[in-house]
Amino acid sequence: MTDDDNPDRRVGGNAPTGADGTDRGVGADAPTGPDGHDLDVRLLDSAPNLSGLFARAAATGARRPGSEVRLPTHRLMLADVGQDVRRLADYSEVTGGVLSDRLPATWLHVLTFPLQVSLMAGREFPFPMLGMVHVANAMTQRRPVLVGETLTLSSWADNLLPHRRGRTVDLLGEARVGGEVVWEGRSTYLVRGQGGDEAPARGEEHVIPEVELATWRLPGNLGRRYAKVSGDVNPIHLSALSAKAFGFPRAIAHGMWTHARVLAALQPRLPGAFRVDVQFAKPVMLPSTVVLRGTSTGLTGVPEALAVTSRDGGRTHLTAQVRDV
Amino acid sequence: MSEQQMTSVPQPQTVPVPRDAVIVGGNRIPFGKAGGAYASASNQAMLTAALDGLVARFGLAGQQVGEVAAGAVLKHSRDFNLTRESVLGSALAPTTPAYDLQQACGTGLETVIQVANKIRLGQLDSGIAGGVDSASDAPIAVGEGLRKALIKANAARTPMQRVKALAGIRPGDLAPETPRNAEPRTGLSMGEHQARTALQWGVPREAQDELAVASHHHLARAWDSGFFDDLATGFLRLSRDEGLRPDTSVERLAQLQPVFGRGEGATMTAGNSTPLSDGAAVVLLSTREWAAERHLPVLARFVDAEVAAVDYVSGDEGLLMAPAYAVPRLLARRGLTLQDFDCYEIHEAFASTVLATLKAWESEEFCRDRLGLDAPLGRIDRDRLNVNGSSLAAGHPFAATGGRIVATLAKLLSEKGPGSRGLVSICAAGGQGVVAILEGC
Repeated sequence: MTDDDNPDRRVGGNAPTGADGTDRGVGADAPTGPDGHDLDVRLLDSAPNLSGLFARAAATGARRPGSEVRLPTHRLMLADVGQDVRRLADYSEVTGGVLSDRLPATWLHVLTFPLQVSLMAGREFPFPMLGMVHVANAMTQRRPVLVGETLTLSSWADNLLPHRRGRTVDLLGEARVGGEVVWEGRSTYLVRGQGGDEAPARGEEHVIPEVELATWRLPGNLGRRYAKVSGDVNPIHLSALSAKAFGFPRAIAHGMWTHARVLAALQPRLPGAFRVDVQFAKPVMLPSTVVLRGTSTGLTGVPEALAVTSRDGGRTHLTAQVRDV
Repeated sequence: MSEQQMTSVPQPQTVPVPRDAVIVGGNRIPFGKAGGAYASASNQAMLTAALDGLVARFGLAGQQVGEVAAGAVLKHSRDFNLTRESVLGSALAPTTPAYDLQQACGTGLETVIQVANKIRLGQLDSGIAGGVDSASDAPIAVGEGLRKALIKANAARTPMQRVKALAGIRPGDLAPETPRNAEPRTGLSMGEHQARTALQWGVPREAQDELAVASHHHLARAWDSGFFDDLATGFLRLSRDEGLRPDTSVERLAQLQPVFGRGEGATMTAGNSTPLSDGAAVVLLSTREWAAERHLPVLARFVDAEVAAVDYVSGDEGLLMAPAYAVPRLLARRGLTLQDFDCYEIHEAFASTVLATLKAWESEEFCRDRLGLDAPLGRIDRDRLNVNGSSLAAGHPFAATGGRIVATLAKLLSEKGPGSRGLVSICAAGGQGVVAILEGC
């Protein structure tokens, strides 16, 4: 299956651009690669093994991209993906959710994550994977995705942009049911380096909402528990010792755990179709206690703006914006 | 004994109630086998799924109902507020009050009685009743020795006190305590208790197997005919009851070895006993006006209910025989006979429970000596019994059974038309029996 098989894409008209029209939509630029041409699709037989990929990624540490950086020009795709309910249940438990027929939007990220990592650990990827920092995530759920549905997942890289601390690159993901795109995700990674002069001004500062919605006590083994259910075995999350090797004093929580925990806290209020934008700020050291803050809502509404901060509010770990689509 | 069990005046003596409580509809998730489709699902996940299916069916998203009453028999201590937590995770308005109730296998029906009575008294206009149970995700507790040592260590003020408390733990304390399907006072499992009753009443093996086969065939036919289309919502890829065996037969069941009782007289097998199951079921009740305002159907009217308990501890009566006492008391209060019903829903804890109960009502001796009646209650038309199958085929997630039966019976009565009458009878651990009467609308 290639993009050409999918008429929905071609018809267009519902590309997820921001309300102001300037936003990089989660999947607005999905069908084409960096050079504006359709991406090659490489169909995988099975989900890539993450532990093996992380081991391989360690070997990419020596990569020193030159001035001519090119992103991979292919999209990795995995078809006929069903759900392992036991794993989904474990994921729901670790991220504070309740197992249901509707898949958490962040779970679809977990399902596409092996494809992302496979791209990043691959020969054609220009940056050392383990040094990359997940700075932002955006996902759009077009409708509830059900546990019984068979998915086609894909991932590709795009949007290489200058940043004041280096460059950013987007790892995009997509889940389809038949030809219908049901979920799109974008993980933005920072590749530290010399900031480009042409780096755009820092985006708007996100307001930290006042209202404290919940206090979460994060245990010291949270990184290991989330690694087990997500497959993200990045050593910075697993133990103080392995984190120290990468310059962190203690293990840090997975950003996508915090993201998932926020969305789980919004259940059952999240609408069937929504977009959520998340910015990862300071890492959450484990163990610790953090606070979820949100703008106040009516009885059934969803806070438009959310943040996860330290208990005293002094450190911001994550900011998030949710809206209907 | 007999005088205590039976109100001595078999005259109708009902207290007039201000208004009717009606059953609008129900929803359950198909019941799973222990360790099957719902092996990873918690009670909260299943109850929330059952509630959300009901909310979707009757357009209650974002709405507040009077209250939600539900419960679970096997419950983790962290689930102390199981029903309220499920409501908060459901599409119902978060301002919907909720509470947990537990009366063993009678839980589901008792919640219906509770909500119906509040509606009849004018305290509520609407409410949801139900229950959930998981045999797969059962709570496992630490042994008493370990538990006490941990409490002591937790309360310790100095590290030395803590060390001392923890040093008191012996290897034997580390064995976990799993919940047992056994009566605390007799140490016998429910099946072992029922095996005694089956022997006492001389319930033959063949009759038990026949009842079990009928349950499977009836339930399979009901699913095939679409009867459950508006009573159930699929969950975790399960769209029918997992234990249902549409092609089972008396010959096949005859090959099974007895699992309860001993020797010659042992008749109870895995085929004619309910399997351990996972599932949830809920029922929507309201006043006629509340339903009419929302253009919702009214399937049946809640008429009355009764609960009885027997002294099984001394061996005076069988553990699961309490409904045999509750039903005649209810009939007497309503001025009805056992034959005045179009449908009978007698919970199939074991096939022999149903058959022993029916035998008791037919027995002159039992009805005279135990119930103080001049004549036996008599036979029922067996063609009206569990016509769409019951627990032997559907499975029996303890607290979910009442909701399953009430919704099934309400729909059956609604099909039969106004004035049709149905009897629900559910036996429960602890020697209790919960029974109720519904009337078609």
